[in-house]
Amino acid sequence: MSNANEEKNGEHMSTASQSMNSLSSVAASHAANRQPGNAPLGSGLEARGIHAWFGKHHALADVSLDFAAGTVTALIGPSGCGKSTFIRTLNRMHEFIPSAAMAGEVLLDGKDIYESGVDVTKIRLQIGMVFQKPNPFPSMTIGQNVLSGLKLAQIKSPKKNDDLLEECLTRSGLWNEVKDRLGAHAGGLSGGQQQRLCIARSLAVNPKVLLMDEPCSALDPGSTLRIEDTIGQLAKTMTVIIVTHNMQQAARVSDYTAFFLSDGGPGQMIEVGPTNEMFSRPKDERTENYVSGRFG
Amino acid sequence: MTTIESALKAKPSKPWKTTKRQLVPSVSLLLAAAIATYVIVALTPMKGKLAYALLFFIFSTSFLAALSWSKRGKSAAKDTIAATVMLTGGILVFLPVASLVLTTIVKGSDGFRLQIFSSTMQSTSYSDPLTSGGLLHAIIGTLFLILIATAISLPLSILTALYLTEIKGKASGLIQFLIQAMSGVPSVVAGIFIYAALLLTTDLRGSTIIGALPLAILMIPTVTRTAQEVLLLVPNELREAGLALGATQWKTVATIVVPAARNGLITATILGVARIAGETAPLLFTLGTSDKINWNIFSGGQNALPYYVWSGIIDGTEGGLARAWTGILVLLILVLLLFVSARLFGSRKVK
Amino acid sequence: MTATAASTVSAPDKRRITTKPRTSDVIFRGVLSVMSMSSLLILALIGLFLSLRGFQAFKNEGLGFITNIDWIAGVDGGEDNFGMGAMIVGTLLVSAVAVVIGVPLSVLTALYLTFYAPETIKRSLVTIVDLMASFPSILYGLWGFIVLMPMAEYWAQLLNKYLGWIPLFSVPEPSFSRSPFIAGLVLAIMIIPIVTSVSREIFDQTPLDRIQAAYALGATRWAMIKAVVLPFGASGVVGGAMLGLGRALGETVAVYSVLNIVFKINLEVLYGYGGNVASMIVGKWGEASLSESKALLAAGFVLFIMTLVVNLLANFIVRRTVKTGK
Repeated sequence: MSNANEEKNGEHMSTASQSMNSLSSVAASHAANRQPGNAPLGSGLEARGIHAWFGKHHALADVSLDFAAGTVTALIGPSGCGKSTFIRTLNRMHEFIPSAAMAGEVLLDGKDIYESGVDVTKIRLQIGMVFQKPNPFPSMTIGQNVLSGLKLAQIKSPKKNDDLLEECLTRSGLWNEVKDRLGAHAGGLSGGQQQRLCIARSLAVNPKVLLMDEPCSALDPGSTLRIEDTIGQLAKTMTVIIVTHNMQQAARVSDYTAFFLSDGGPGQMIEVGPTNEMFSRPKDERTENYVSGRFG
Repeated sequence: MTTIESALKAKPSKPWKTTKRQLVPSVSLLLAAAIATYVIVALTPMKGKLAYALLFFIFSTSFLAALSWSKRGKSAAKDTIAATVMLTGGILVFLPVASLVLTTIVKGSDGFRLQIFSSTMQSTSYSDPLTSGGLLHAIIGTLFLILIATAISLPLSILTALYLTEIKGKASGLIQFLIQAMSGVPSVVAGIFIYAALLLTTDLRGSTIIGALPLAILMIPTVTRTAQEVLLLVPNELREAGLALGATQWKTVATIVVPAARNGLITATILGVARIAGETAPLLFTLGTSDKINWNIFSGGQNALPYYVWSGIIDGTEGGLARAWTGILVLLILVLLLFVSARLFGSRKVK
Repeated sequence: MTATAASTVSAPDKRRITTKPRTSDVIFRGVLSVMSMSSLLILALIGLFLSLRGFQAFKNEGLGFITNIDWIAGVDGGEDNFGMGAMIVGTLLVSAVAVVIGVPLSVLTALYLTFYAPETIKRSLVTIVDLMASFPSILYGLWGFIVLMPMAEYWAQLLNKYLGWIPLFSVPEPSFSRSPFIAGLVLAIMIIPIVTSVSREIFDQTPLDRIQAAYALGATRWAMIKAVVLPFGASGVVGGAMLGLGRALGETVAVYSVLNIVFKINLEVLYGYGGNVASMIVGKWGEASLSESKALLAAGFVLFIMTLVVNLLANFIVRRTVKTGK
């Protein structure tokens, strides 16, 4: 397929199609290795007709996405096209900005989380978030950080604290490095370790969905790969949505990819599809231009 | 549906904002709390504003917390209690402010006539009826004090601030430390210091210029600190532009930096003046006293607004107290004017 | 190219950069430096003059000046016996009352303003707090005497009635007027603007990413404040409280109006006997003989040192919070 493109459009296409090649092969191998998960929790998350405003500025227009339970979806696109804004409408963090407004619905297990009378703190227990810059609580120890979600929401886990600690830290890939110093302060960890701590912290409250807003962009490649492993493990029991600038990362970890773009106006979701298809045979020309590296 | 069509149909909304319907249970609980308060007060020997306030607080907090608990659990109940406690704290803080201002207006208006701005206490005593006498001499005295104190402290403050922001010399840490120390000096200490230094062992007596000295001491830290903040806001690019043109540092500072910070420096001065306009204690040791305007600032006592108020209080008669309130009202108006002008100058952007 | 050749050549010595400043700049820097040292000069002079002129009192009484309780001006050549003890204890007591009442209210208000108040009201409320800080202290004194005291006496009576079994709240006789409690109450209102402002600034600087982390975990507003804001701002608030304490220690006319100065140590806050160094200086000044004046100057020196120490400690703490909290 790529040979025909090369001949058609001359040699300046070759680097573009080379990158598309490598992406699609990575995506293909991810799809091949993906094992079907155990019965995932809930029935996934669905966004319908999401718009977002900051005051008069229309930042996001009509985004509809269906995140099937137990899958990993990557949101890619150039900076400033609304990916982070979109992901923040999914766990109702968007509304913290005083000028924020939205339209549309977000359905968790079929119920709109924006419905009047919904307890937003319960929503955030079910839809967790990991941020770009690791943000453990510096006044707490490592162990306290992991369990902080339970304490903040005043809920009790069915598991014992020690078991839960070990489970969450193991799932996030940090257990072996900190099991002997759970009482140490979280500030002493490296960036990658802190981020894995934040992931463990989010896991402790047992969410159905985990949102990740460029979780690796502030980390070194070694930590990045460790976290990508973690994401692969997590997807077996929850739905993961990850915003990323790094297309190789999207190809490595995700089952589905959605491409966002803004043409100067509000950001829109251009195309969504299985990852290996998005990177080898995207339907929209703009998607193809982006994944082949012509811009972005 | 194309994006354009749906974009036309979509309207921004804030579904997280509390709707009026959602407020109904809370409002009805507040009413219930009010009723419960009245009932308890009627039935028990508790009485007075304190009883009402305390009971209402207890009832409304517990009712609202119970509502949160039933709907959303323990954590939400704690959140509700915290919110009501904070709101109560805020109210408790603003009640005295309202009372201070209202009392001043109410009690000060008795003696607030146009004549007080044109007559002095030269031929009136504090206990005389309010139809005679005035505080012109006190106003003039305060103005003198402000002018002299500013003339002394402004150069010192701005030069110190410039040292800290432009030269950043080795003594900066020390000077910063000293300015902080000076800001904690109680006004009475500044007053008795000047007394001890100038009046105790010499033939000098209290006068306007001596009265202004402790005020200058009190002004310096305020003006220096604010001036420093303002000078730091001047973008470094301006300084670099001046130096790159070959100007000396002193020329750059004098012709570029200081004019750019002009509004902020004016604000700093006004804040300093507001700090000292109402100071009473230092004047008691350094100003002497006077019933009329004393145009000689170097010799002879003077009056000033805070001192005028103080004399009225000490006098103790009804007339004296009334005059004191009027004096405070005038002082409050002065402080308010200073405050407003400081805001006006402060909000104009650095050019 | 031989990469190894480059690595065997060592970096050249750094050049010393010098400049000969223009004369006008030398003068400029000189003038600024000298003028800035004026603050050092002033502080030193204050300490110097007060201690020198008041030296006689220190010489006569020794350490007893601070610890003795009696303050007797010798009449007609009789012996002077000056002791500040009661005044120092009284000052600390009144300031303690002010801090205990004022600081929690300030923190609550600061939290309310930062995290609960709607944007529309917030700016006006902040302005009002700043305005409160510039009210003249004599206003607080007069208002405290005329308006607050009747109410505070009533509260004191209630406290005494129901909690009088606690030694702090008992009174030897039912005289509640012009007590340390009332003076402390007035001072509390006076220090609220300072402590609220400082606390508010600290709370405003709480790192946003930690706040977001707490909310993303499903925390309510109060849970977030408890987990993130309070640990972050605690030492800064302590610093602010100490600034308020420093202000309370030196307050003069406001306390003078509402406190009955008596030279006895009284720890029962509701009872109308109190002490305050600043108010004492003002009260005794008018009729003081020369030797008593000097003793008052010495008292002023002690006050100067007290407020200096508290203030410097406070500033140190506040600075440290802002630097290390991040």
